Amino acid sequence: MTQALLWASLAALGASPLPLARGADTFAVHAAELWLGDGQRIEDGVLLVEGGRIKAAGRGVDVPLGTPRIEHDSVISAGLIAFDCAVGLDGETSEPKRSVLATGRLIDAFDASAEGVAAALSEGITTLVLTPAPTTLAGGRCAVVKTAHGTVLSAEGLLALSLSEEALDPNRYPTSPSGAMTELERLLGAGQGALPAAARVAVLIEAPTRDDVRRALGLAERHGLRGALSGSRRAGELAEAIAAAQLAVVVGPFASGVAQRELDSVVALGRARVPLAFALELPTRHPAGLRLSASLCLRAGLDPAAAWSALTSGAAAVAGVQTRVGRLERGLDADFVLWSGNPLDLSSRPVAVFVDGVRAHQRGE
Amino acid sequence: MILGLILSSLLAPVAVQELEGNSWSVWADRVYTAAGDLLEGAVIRVEEGKIAAVAPGGSAPAGALRAAAVTPGMVDLSVRLLSGWTGVEHAREVNAGMRASDAVELFDERWKAVARSGVTTALVNPPDFNVIGGLGLAVKTAGGPDGAARELAPERVVRGAMGAQPSTRNHPAFGRPEDLYSRRPTTRMGVEWEHRAAFYDAAASRADAQRAFPGSPELLRVLDGELPFMVQAWTTQDIRTAVFLKEEIEREGLGRPRFVIDAAAEAWREPQLLVRSGVAVVLPPFAPLGRTGEDAFMTIGSAKLLSDLGVPLALSAHGNTSAGNSLCRQAGWAMRGGLSFAAALAAVTITPARLIGVDERVGSLEVGKDADLVLWSGEPFEASSAVIGVLIDGRIVLDPRAGAEQAD
Repeated sequence: MTQALLWASLAALGASPLPLARGADTFAVHAAELWLGDGQRIEDGVLLVEGGRIKAAGRGVDVPLGTPRIEHDSVISAGLIAFDCAVGLDGETSEPKRSVLATGRLIDAFDASAEGVAAALSEGITTLVLTPAPTTLAGGRCAVVKTAHGTVLSAEGLLALSLSEEALDPNRYPTSPSGAMTELERLLGAGQGALPAAARVAVLIEAPTRDDVRRALGLAERHGLRGALSGSRRAGELAEAIAAAQLAVVVGPFASGVAQRELDSVVALGRARVPLAFALELPTRHPAGLRLSASLCLRAGLDPAAAWSALTSGAAAVAGVQTRVGRLERGLDADFVLWSGNPLDLSSRPVAVFVDGVRAHQRGE
Repeated sequence: MILGLILSSLLAPVAVQELEGNSWSVWADRVYTAAGDLLEGAVIRVEEGKIAAVAPGGSAPAGALRAAAVTPGMVDLSVRLLSGWTGVEHAREVNAGMRASDAVELFDERWKAVARSGVTTALVNPPDFNVIGGLGLAVKTAGGPDGAARELAPERVVRGAMGAQPSTRNHPAFGRPEDLYSRRPTTRMGVEWEHRAAFYDAAASRADAQRAFPGSPELLRVLDGELPFMVQAWTTQDIRTAVFLKEEIEREGLGRPRFVIDAAAEAWREPQLLVRSGVAVVLPPFAPLGRTGEDAFMTIGSAKLLSDLGVPLALSAHGNTSAGNSLCRQAGWAMRGGLSFAAALAAVTITPARLIGVDERVGSLEVGKDADLVLWSGEPFEASSAVIGVLIDGRIVLDPRAGAEQAD
């Protein structure tokens, strides 16, 4: 309980990091291959870390004499980002008795010491997007957290909206899709005040069926919404329309036995240059499922650059934390993974994971 | 990794194959335009999804789609494909402002069968578990991949229901009973009262904006005659209630509404009432022994009787696509009851299009209208004739060419 309170108070600090957790030291990491992000890969690269942030990343980085140096004979990349997580929330990811809880915050229910958080860390996942369940029309704000030190990247992330049948309840208004849309239109409409101004807040719209996607696109167009769609297994069949609406799509999770059609949907989205991110559904699924989802999409024909972006920088942009994480670049948080091999190869594993410049996971520990 | 790159570059250029265009020549022995003319041996030129010319005489141009007969695509005002429990708004009994367009499932697989049965335009209404369920929308039954092109007009009617269905059992239509339901009517008397209260309250909001409520603007559009009020009433008593509601609205000076009575199975019992009040009628599917929904009884001569009296008449298959119950078969049944071919054709094409105000686009074969065509193997509506081809907005939905693989 004490610990939970401690974390809750940390959460309340919002974006300001825990001073003790942020590495105060300066050190350099030399890697055989440095994946900077957005397709940039360099051999014999050096990552210079100072005060928990990346001071420099690249080849021929000027490392001051006497700086401690770590050698790694394989790939180093930014930490991975997983969407659609509900870890540390005791299953309480919505307030189903209300149809609208737009200003609710999932971070207020989050226990950063939960077991599944460390499990994600050990799989190279350094950032989680906690998502309200789609059982209410407006379920509140997603939280973006790190998997170590209780660092909160965003206490008020994407606003979760749901066009899913799950948001309808025969015992409260609305009980029908027409009623749901009427209510959302009212809330998003000018001057109602119940939802934060749509123009300022990015949204995450749960839209399971193709018709839900169609409705979400209409809603986005009418109200100038930006953000992402999630939950649709066949969104790729509307890829051009989604691209035109400049929305991203959260896809997956995929495991063995997934229908080819679902993977083809992701490939179609990739071809239409729709920004992607992967859902993980932690803790229901094993955290290794994140890279498995990406692998299955690669196998179906997704461009490797798009898949990697969906695991890192692209996902960070969707979550609105791209100025903090997702790439190895000067000024960003020092969240990185030392891999045993190519991280898109499932046989590779994290050897060590750093968060805020501090070694948070070491294989074998 | 490199292998992945090679694979993806190999796969990338495969674009979605454009199966067909939307420009055609269609030639038939007989073209029934539903605009007054029967053309013997005529060609219909379709350009960019619209009818560019309808020219009689001559012979079939090379490459033309051919059929024994061509009619306009059929229009069904009561397809009833919106029927899941989630479609019902339990929270309120009068929801005039809610839109079926927010609930319609355009990707529902059943639409393909509806389109291939020759129905090219459909009115989708909210389910009838509410007294006033909301705004019905007109859609094409097939179209573009994202569905956007299929919505013909999102707000074509306000839908209501008389009789037993809105008061079905004293608990929610589906799900557990709770306090929400206490506001629902439980009897015919209650249902009828809700209708009157809604229209009186809406009329009161004309003079006093403070009295406006969700849905009152849509009810005012009904009172102003701008949108038809399409009300379900199967039995005589419910048809009477609907007619009396219209007459009361007019008598009390609330407005001049247009009424379309849907599923009016027993309209034949008191046809003069319909003539007197100037309502239009949509008949439900014919039943072999006459017993239709809500225990109403419909005779096979109903369509002829109403048509002869000048009641605007449309037929509906309620979304049925089986060989014996599709919309073309309903026209066949009506003819068996004595209705003329011309009247039967009008009852599944131009009349329903006019009733919901989409006749500028669909309902007859005229230059400038959407190229929604049905191609027949023989005389339309005959039991021995089949729908062999369907075009919607000039695109082939059912391919009439022999051996053609059907586009999915």
